[in-house]
Amino acid sequence: MKHPSLAETQREFFGALQFPLRGTSRRSTELPVNGEAHDPAFLATAERLIKPTPTLIPAECLELYHRQYWFRLLDSIEEDFPGLIRLLGKGKFWEIIEAYLLHHPSESFTLRHLGRAMPGFLAGYLDEPLISRRATAIAEIEWEMMSVFEAADAPPATPDQIASETIALQPHLKLLEQKTNASEWLHEDEDWCEGDLKAFHTAVWRTAEGAVSHTPLEPGAFAMLTRLSKTPTSLDDWLDASASEIPNPETLTRWFSAWSGNGWFTSS
Amino acid sequence: MITDAPSTTDLGIGIGLRVPHYDHILSNKPDVSWFEIISENYMVDGGKPLAVLDRILEQYQVVQHGVGLYPGNADGLNFDHLRRLKKLIKRTKTPWISDHLCWGSIDGTFSHDLLPMPYTFEAARRIAENLRIAQDFLEIPLAVENVSSYAAFNADEMTEWEFLAEVVDLAGVDILLDVNNIYVSSINHGFDPLDYVNFIQPERVRQTHIAGHSKYERFIIDTHDHPVIDPVWELYARAIERCGPVTTLLEWDARIPSFGEVHQEALKASVYWDAAKAKHDTLDEASLPR
Repeated sequence: MKHPSLAETQREFFGALQFPLRGTSRRSTELPVNGEAHDPAFLATAERLIKPTPTLIPAECLELYHRQYWFRLLDSIEEDFPGLIRLLGKGKFWEIIEAYLLHHPSESFTLRHLGRAMPGFLAGYLDEPLISRRATAIAEIEWEMMSVFEAADAPPATPDQIASETIALQPHLKLLEQKTNASEWLHEDEDWCEGDLKAFHTAVWRTAEGAVSHTPLEPGAFAMLTRLSKTPTSLDDWLDASASEIPNPETLTRWFSAWSGNGWFTSS
Repeated sequence: MITDAPSTTDLGIGIGLRVPHYDHILSNKPDVSWFEIISENYMVDGGKPLAVLDRILEQYQVVQHGVGLYPGNADGLNFDHLRRLKKLIKRTKTPWISDHLCWGSIDGTFSHDLLPMPYTFEAARRIAENLRIAQDFLEIPLAVENVSSYAAFNADEMTEWEFLAEVVDLAGVDILLDVNNIYVSSINHGFDPLDYVNFIQPERVRQTHIAGHSKYERFIIDTHDHPVIDPVWELYARAIERCGPVTTLLEWDARIPSFGEVHQEALKASVYWDAAKAKHDTLDEASLPR
């Protein structure tokens, strides 16, 4: 009997891992109940590729890898999107996660990147516009929190450097413009506030201690920071270019104090 | 080509560096010979993991152990991964690196698991080629670790230990001998673990792993969440009796207890390690010209 090549073996084996969980493996998770049996293709792969052990038939051997694959992905993504669980409830969340993982298997060496496509997926998956908008906004923030955790950094600029050198923003600072106040909702500060014509702004960054945080930004602050993120410049030139976004000197002082205290400036 | 045989760098008994122990290690500076890190946890551009690693490196020898090289992948190595790995190697100054005798991704999609190889000559040639390329690219000795397995293939043309021996000879790489994995696979597949330990080339064994596992009614899973059981200690004793007192590491990756408990479990290896060292020192002395 001719056996498949290494590439054929791996492609077929991996294809079987990506079938949905079934049976006791599925019941060990919070995925929606589904009483269907394994796809016949799963069982055929097991018989074709795998030999029985003294105690397990081929399908049971393959199932050990199948469940490990799914359990690992489900555990990881549950940790990444706690806000999404709070918004959607566990039932809807796990229904979405199964669909997401079937469409977006991991394409990175690290599970930290597993949720990268979640915001875009939610926008297309959820039919109800209000829920879609809120879920997408939360997923954007929670995904950026993952990316910020491991993003590069640079030494924070000193006050002298801010005053006299070209300044830039930390590479780990991410600026988001959204159609809902997801950052406030995640902090449990505010109920939802939104509108098609209204924009809400959020900064996601890493603190000096390595923790990840997010905070709402006022529109002028978002515009100023976005300008600096695109074009590092001197303080004077940055302020000149941003004159129309600064409501008053007191507000600018307040913003600057927060940004500098958060270590967002670096010497370019 | 880097090397055909392990150097004599024996670091003693070490522990895997894990997040729950960061504060204890940095605050108390425990007397540990060396720490093993999971390379992929530190292959990042910045943030707390690297900051902690740099502080650990100020005080301890660190050895890198990977879970994402996947040398058994039929579609070859990921050079972006290798470049990140090489960057980390420069940071840690690890004396060697290790990864697993497995595959884990295909067509750009990742399993995040250590998937079993079919033990065929085609697979041996492929994984050996990838290991050789990786070792040459990384410019550092590479050791490959036997994995626990729960499935064997109809296509198998040899035993796992014959496959491992074939691969390391073809590739010119070393072995990280995980005696717990040998034990787990021996129960799952019904072979004598001593056949394995007694077959592999002792001169190729650069490091060993010991760990606990979870026993179920009809199989064992390699969970690294229990103390090491006596049969694994006995297998370890035989391994280092045969290979010499090579660098040893205790793995504990889930349900992680206090640092002290993990350290105590690791130090149980010293009974066997010291005996093996004494025996090998005596043999060395006896072989000196008089």
